[in-house]
Amino acid sequence: MARVEVQNVSLTFGAHKAVDDVSIAFEDGGFYALLGPSGSGKTTLLRMIAGFEFPDAGSIRIDGEAVENVPVNRRRIGMVFQNYALFPNMSVEGNVAFGLEVRGEKGESVRRAVAEALELVQLGPLAKRRPHQLSGGQRQRVALARAIVTKPRVLLLDEPLSALDKALRTDMQVELKRIQREVGVTTIFVTHDQDEALSISDRIGILKDGRIVQEGAPEDIYDRPASEFAATFLGDANILTGVVRDGSLRLDGGTAIDLPAGSGDVPGELRCAIRPERVRISQSMPVTGAAGEPPEHMRGVVTRRLFSGSASTYFIDCSGREMKAIVQRGGDADMAVGSPVCVHWNADDLIPLSAGDGRD
Amino acid sequence: MAAGAIPSNDTDRKETTPMAASGAMKQNGLRKALPLLLPAYAWLTLAIFLPLSAMVYFSLLTSMSPSEQSSSLTLANYATFFSDPLYATLLLRSLKLGLLVTLICVLIGFPAAYVLAKIFKGRAREAIFLLVILPFWSNSLVRVFSWSMVLREGGILDTALNAILPFHVTFDLMYSFPAVVIGLVHSYLPYMVLTCYLSLQAIDDALIEAARSLGATRFTTLRRVVAPLALPGVLAGSALIFIPVVGSFMEPRILGGRTGTLYGTVIEDQFTAVYNWPLGAALSFILLAVVLVILLVSAPVLRKAA
Amino acid sequence: MIRAPAFLSGLGRFYIGLVLAFLYLPLVIMAAMSFNVSPFYQLPFEGTTEWYVALAQNDGLIDATINSLEIAVLTTIIATALGTAASLALFRYDFAGKRILQALLFPPIAIPWLISGTAMLIFFFGTGIGRGLHAILLGHVALALPYVIIVVSARLATFSKDLEDAAASLGATGWQTTRKVTLPCIAPGIVAGGLFAFAVSFDQFVVSYFLATPGQTTLPVEIYAAIRKGFTPEINAVSTIIIVFSMSLMLVVSRFFRFGGDQ
Repeated sequence: MARVEVQNVSLTFGAHKAVDDVSIAFEDGGFYALLGPSGSGKTTLLRMIAGFEFPDAGSIRIDGEAVENVPVNRRRIGMVFQNYALFPNMSVEGNVAFGLEVRGEKGESVRRAVAEALELVQLGPLAKRRPHQLSGGQRQRVALARAIVTKPRVLLLDEPLSALDKALRTDMQVELKRIQREVGVTTIFVTHDQDEALSISDRIGILKDGRIVQEGAPEDIYDRPASEFAATFLGDANILTGVVRDGSLRLDGGTAIDLPAGSGDVPGELRCAIRPERVRISQSMPVTGAAGEPPEHMRGVVTRRLFSGSASTYFIDCSGREMKAIVQRGGDADMAVGSPVCVHWNADDLIPLSAGDGRD
Repeated sequence: MAAGAIPSNDTDRKETTPMAASGAMKQNGLRKALPLLLPAYAWLTLAIFLPLSAMVYFSLLTSMSPSEQSSSLTLANYATFFSDPLYATLLLRSLKLGLLVTLICVLIGFPAAYVLAKIFKGRAREAIFLLVILPFWSNSLVRVFSWSMVLREGGILDTALNAILPFHVTFDLMYSFPAVVIGLVHSYLPYMVLTCYLSLQAIDDALIEAARSLGATRFTTLRRVVAPLALPGVLAGSALIFIPVVGSFMEPRILGGRTGTLYGTVIEDQFTAVYNWPLGAALSFILLAVVLVILLVSAPVLRKAA
Repeated sequence: MIRAPAFLSGLGRFYIGLVLAFLYLPLVIMAAMSFNVSPFYQLPFEGTTEWYVALAQNDGLIDATINSLEIAVLTTIIATALGTAASLALFRYDFAGKRILQALLFPPIAIPWLISGTAMLIFFFGTGIGRGLHAILLGHVALALPYVIIVVSARLATFSKDLEDAAASLGATGWQTTRKVTLPCIAPGIVAGGLFAFAVSFDQFVVSYFLATPGQTTLPVEIYAAIRKGFTPEINAVSTIIIVFSMSLMLVVSRFFRFGGDQ
């Protein structure tokens, strides 16, 4: 188990900066997700930590030891590949034993370690099978057992669940989390799936164009995204742009919106995000100042409604500005397309975004 | 053309590393690749490249015999080719033979490969595929010679025809141009079936289904979808057949007799009967140049057609 | 796939039957004639094994057969080893000039054998390498190399580089990865490449013809000489034995490795 430290690492392919001056620390025993769209450099960063790519500049330390020039087979890492990369010429057992055997271990100790690892991923009975005789989820478990049996200092996972269907993916997320807790290995998990990143990891690093744009606990990033990119890539958000004047935000159409305490101090242009599930809609105007009722901010007309089981997403046209609102099922009656509504929220749910980073 | 048969790995690699490798990585790659490549290239240098260079040098010598040391450089051997129309006539004849045999192999082999790849399935397909390529492991000389038992007067075909027909016919194809063509087609047909089969098998059946679902007839599907996709296989097979047939001398000698005089047999004579190696080398080099020009000219034309 | 109507698929089967008949007719006749009394293939057929007895006493033919087998086996081993190594290098590494280097592997196929053979004769004669079985082996390996590389590279194209990465991430050295993962995974391609190398060598006449010497010759060269002198049915006998032998060999091999069938 170890702490992994990436300092000012860059890697350029031709004219393309795949990873651009990235610094991030992965604490011992933590479960990290690197989240970003394709081409954001997350896989390249992972492959540099693994040792498949070597940085042009910067350092990578595992447990304080500089490893950026150590070849992959001497880094003592474990890796799970997107398509599992199970050796088709070996049984499940053979796959799991491989890492121990190439280190020169033999006999009883290998047998016991393999049995333990397969027990951990609940595949004991399938030890003699061949990879092609396994289901996707089972292959995934073999790949995991194979990666952790060598007691790696860090476990790297490259979109390991993307080849599974949705139900299985949710199961495997829980399973992966359990195994990671049990083993306690520092884990770095690359994904482009925001839900997966939110549900599985202790901390998330969001990448865009080879840079880390925000890093933090899932709740913190979700509640306080630093940029429009972070706000829209991790979860959904309504973005409001305006000018700060007299402690409130004046939108382009002239509507004034209350800002959370402390954020209306600096005059100038400001972007804010509001999560759709924080937006409320109602048919009648709420009584301003009444207990528990947030003030009204906008009026609009429902243009579309997407029903997704437990909740509905409403798209509301507020004089040319589209607002999204997610309403849990139950409680209020559904609103039909075309009905006029009032749109409102708590001023504290408005998230001011830093101007600079990640604007498209 | 033949180079098209080797699958390029560049595209595969790009999927794991989406960007082009940097210059430093490329040099590093060659350094790592060299120990693995060197034995193969060293062997080819000794057995192919140096001999070809030696042949070019030899074709410029005056000496009639390789043991005579007092030879000087000359273009006389090439002049011989151009002064005596016999050589050009024979070269043309060899090229025509190569084209004819290749064409017949395409006409017979492509449909066979299509049936094999798209109609047969499972064990039956495997068994027939094996039967088609099995003659590779028999002896081509013997296969050619066995045709003489079939084609000559009093041979199998003659006897069989006369047993069936009420009147007497004399059937004797032996020592004729058709006999040479039949023997060569028989020898080289498996190459065409093999290469066509490999490229036809790689065509996803969904493409054929898609074409049919869009209203294409079977024939249109074959012409517009299957044939263009299978073209690399046809071309690879054609190269594998045309090249050796143009230089063939054994088959024409066995099946063609006196009518089997071709460019290849003349070259053979220079080395095994007349012992005029410099002339043989010059004639060989001219043949090589002609074949290479044909390959170079036809490759882009055919690629455009695809 | 869209199933062909019954009559079309029947036509297809009939056509394949015709093609196979064309390919095998001479072989069958040859095998039959090796048991026919008449050395001039006179019919009616009268059974005998005398040509096989005669073959057993024909030292020239037997020696040539043994030479051919030895050279084919050596060619298979050398060409498969060199070709597999080269295929691996071309699969794994990227470098400037790779396309040119790849193209340089193909002259043995892209040049008529007649030219390769006469060029080798000139060069080997001039440099003192000389003619004989060693020269024939030199030539055969060169001719077989491109076939091995094509077949092994085709197999490598279906091999995922992730498997090599996975092995390395588990601590395997380059050699351990090659030996325990890469080579076992592409084994069917290597075996198929080896079989082609064997076929190229065992069937090769042209290059052997120019490089053989009276004492050191291969079966095809010996048969060619015999045909030009006057054919004897012993050649039918030896050819029949060879065909039966190689068919059995191929059938055994194909039980372990599937070629061409559904993968």
